[in-house]
Amino acid sequence: MRIAAGVDVGSTQTKAVLLSDNGGVSITARALVDTGANVRKAAEHAFHEVCKAAGIHASDVGFVVGTGYGRYNISFGHTQMTEISCHARGAHFVFPGTRTVIDMGGQDSKAIAVGADGEVLDFVMNDKCAAGTGRFLANAADVMAISLDEVGPLSLRGTKPVKITTVCTVFVESDILSYLAQGKKGEDILAGVHLAIARRTMSLARRVPLEPEITMTGGVARNIGMVKALEEVLGQPLKISPDAHFMGAIGAALFALEKMDQSFESTIWRPEHAADRGD
Amino acid sequence: MRLIAGIDCGSGYTKAVLIEAAEGEVRVLGKGRVRTGVHLEEAAKTALGQALEQAGAAREDVAYVATTGFGRYSIPFRDIQVTEITSAARGAHYLFPESECVLDIGGQSTRAVGLRDSGKVKAFKTNDKCAAGSGMFLARAAKYLGIEVEQIGELSLGAQNPQPISSICAVLAESEIINHVSAGVSVEDILRGIHDSLAERAGALLKRVGMQKELTLIGGVARQRGMVKALEERLQVEVHVPEDCDSVCALGAALLGRVRLAAVSRDLAPEFAGAGESSPAAMPHPS
Repeated sequence: MRIAAGVDVGSTQTKAVLLSDNGGVSITARALVDTGANVRKAAEHAFHEVCKAAGIHASDVGFVVGTGYGRYNISFGHTQMTEISCHARGAHFVFPGTRTVIDMGGQDSKAIAVGADGEVLDFVMNDKCAAGTGRFLANAADVMAISLDEVGPLSLRGTKPVKITTVCTVFVESDILSYLAQGKKGEDILAGVHLAIARRTMSLARRVPLEPEITMTGGVARNIGMVKALEEVLGQPLKISPDAHFMGAIGAALFALEKMDQSFESTIWRPEHAADRGD
Repeated sequence: MRLIAGIDCGSGYTKAVLIEAAEGEVRVLGKGRVRTGVHLEEAAKTALGQALEQAGAAREDVAYVATTGFGRYSIPFRDIQVTEITSAARGAHYLFPESECVLDIGGQSTRAVGLRDSGKVKAFKTNDKCAAGSGMFLARAAKYLGIEVEQIGELSLGAQNPQPISSICAVLAESEIINHVSAGVSVEDILRGIHDSLAERAGALLKRVGMQKELTLIGGVARQRGMVKALEERLQVEVHVPEDCDSVCALGAALLGRVRLAAVSRDLAPEFAGAGESSPAAMPHPS
């Protein structure tokens, strides 16, 4: 049995996934840790945790691919891939019909057009501002004095979404405060906030061909309010896996399996390459 | 004594300026400044009240009220409202006639205005979509660094080795600031880095409105000397900062109000002028 790992070092959380190939590829274990200030440590920690969860030793893992914004800080990885390739690949693995990926992470959001084999055809990205990111929602939660997990479900109870005209996280904060001062209901405020962000995300995503099926990935996919708001704006359902959060790491692990094959072949034909792998 | 009031109802503060209605040299007789809060009309009344008290005048002495700023339409006792672009141009041009453009860094927006020789607006660029480059950006940074907004300017001046901030977004920049802090960068160097980055952002707006050698910096952020230095060094311009940098728009509105009142008094027959909303134009000139 061959085991490969993908480690996705995000701005907020670091995800690690182990895949095993035993005739068919399956997910063996997952681990999730906060990235914090020390990116290198977070990656090591996540990798250690995922090995522990699977009950294997780090040396049992044949190949490790790093992705995410901190991918170059992974001390033990064999190679790195962009998170764009990894999300496309991961989404295609879980939902083979995926033609578009909407990834909303901690500090950026992306839309990726995906080919029939899970390859990236095109992408657009917002990493300039916090609109449409987890950071935005965390801020909104802070202002409302509720936890991030409550934001989505509460927004679904809104019946009269308030009008939010800006998507700047800082300005929305003052919008929320003034709506609260006016006595508006928390759920109506949050419903308005989610709709504003969904519209903003869709205007970004429309710049790639938005072909169905559309799969949503990234940590924000766990926010049911954002999922529903996006579906409303899109006019079609989104594919959401319980592993949406791990999709980048899954993609990275899939690339790792593939690289493992390539390097295995190269060790057969050209044994001197084995030394280059550095392991 | 007949007075003209200019009231600038901004997102952070509401400022009022009182000038004499009589033509000739402009005399500022009173000023007021209060936090805007959520009741805009109240804020305007309070700021005007402060200015009246300083001027030793009564509400009846105010012949004309010109409002500006984001809350200009929320002040029902106004005679006219003008955009903050127009009022900034007029106020800044009055104070520094040689300066060909104005940079107004407010609490929630940043505006660059290019002026004609007459002080009229030639071109303007504004960012009011997001907090990038605004006073709010600095306020949040101060909160993170555990300092008062009033300290920012002086601390920034003491920077030895400014550390750049690459994020445009005020929220994403916070992570960068935190990284700097954890890497042991001094508060001074971080603040100057922020000022430098704001200066670069402002420079992009200013270039598009035809900035040359001189610039008048107004708005609350103009009080931060570190910001002034960053603009001078980064953009290679001479920066003029009015003594009362955050009441320039209110002054500009008052000046425009004075011109307007004079025109109304001259051109309109008294019976027409009297028909306007509490228009004082029908009153006899006190001269």
